[in-house]
Amino acid sequence: MTDSRWVGRSYETAPYEVTEQSIRDYMAAVGDLREDGELIAPPTFAMVYGFDAYWQLWTDQEVALDVAHLVHGEQRFSFQRPVRPGDRIRTTGRLIAINTRGDMELVTFELKARDAEDRPVSDGTALFIIRKP
Amino acid sequence: MKTMSTLDFEHVSPGLALPPLTKHVTVDQIRQYAEASGDRNPIHLDETFARSAGLPGVIAHGMLTMAFANQMVTDWLGDRSLLKSLHGRFAGMVLPGDDVTCSGSVASKDDETRRVVINLVVTNQRGEKVFNKGVAEAEFSPQKEQ
Repeated sequence: MTDSRWVGRSYETAPYEVTEQSIRDYMAAVGDLREDGELIAPPTFAMVYGFDAYWQLWTDQEVALDVAHLVHGEQRFSFQRPVRPGDRIRTTGRLIAINTRGDMELVTFELKARDAEDRPVSDGTALFIIRKP
Repeated sequence: MKTMSTLDFEHVSPGLALPPLTKHVTVDQIRQYAEASGDRNPIHLDETFARSAGLPGVIAHGMLTMAFANQMVTDWLGDRSLLKSLHGRFAGMVLPGDDVTCSGSVASKDDETRRVVINLVVTNQRGEKVFNKGVAEAEFSPQKEQ
């Protein structure tokens, strides 16, 4: 069981520099290849520019989530504006709840992404499920 | 390169079904997604590790399935910038070799705010839900003056 005293801990990514290549690599990986004149990232690219916040949570040795038994249970995103090459995005993730349901542990992680001018880009909420081994 | 043309808000009505989208998931695609997203968790890449974690083998990232649902909605909208929110539950594992199909329909439409709510689900080739309680919201641009 993860210690509930870590609720409230937050993690910030370094600024993620969005490039045409990073968007195209993501589009190729998921097979979402449609584009118009202007290149706009698929909205779920939020998982890419924000990924380091998730990674910091998963690898935090003090919180010590049992990542071998962790699965992504639920995800919510809100998009305040489209993401284009040249954007510099910083994401802050915060561990906001640890609950138990039966023999599962539920970890809620909230994310806020902002651009170089500190304007909102997207928000996210992830629910991770840790199955007891 | 495929091009997109934006859906006409006037053509949207509650109950309207979106064109479904089917994807065949492969080990190569999961690896490619791991590279593009940075998520190299071994449950997605290492068969031995995945089995030791109690899984049937490597599994696809939940966010890959959500990306498919995203694509179904934005292909229909014809403009990625119209999508304002996306939510859902990863209800089942997606394994290499699975064929997953995204489907959805318009739940509601608000003429004042020009917002449209879409319910969506992703099922595998056995009809099992792998992503459920999916909801997407889109907001169309203000109507141009006539």
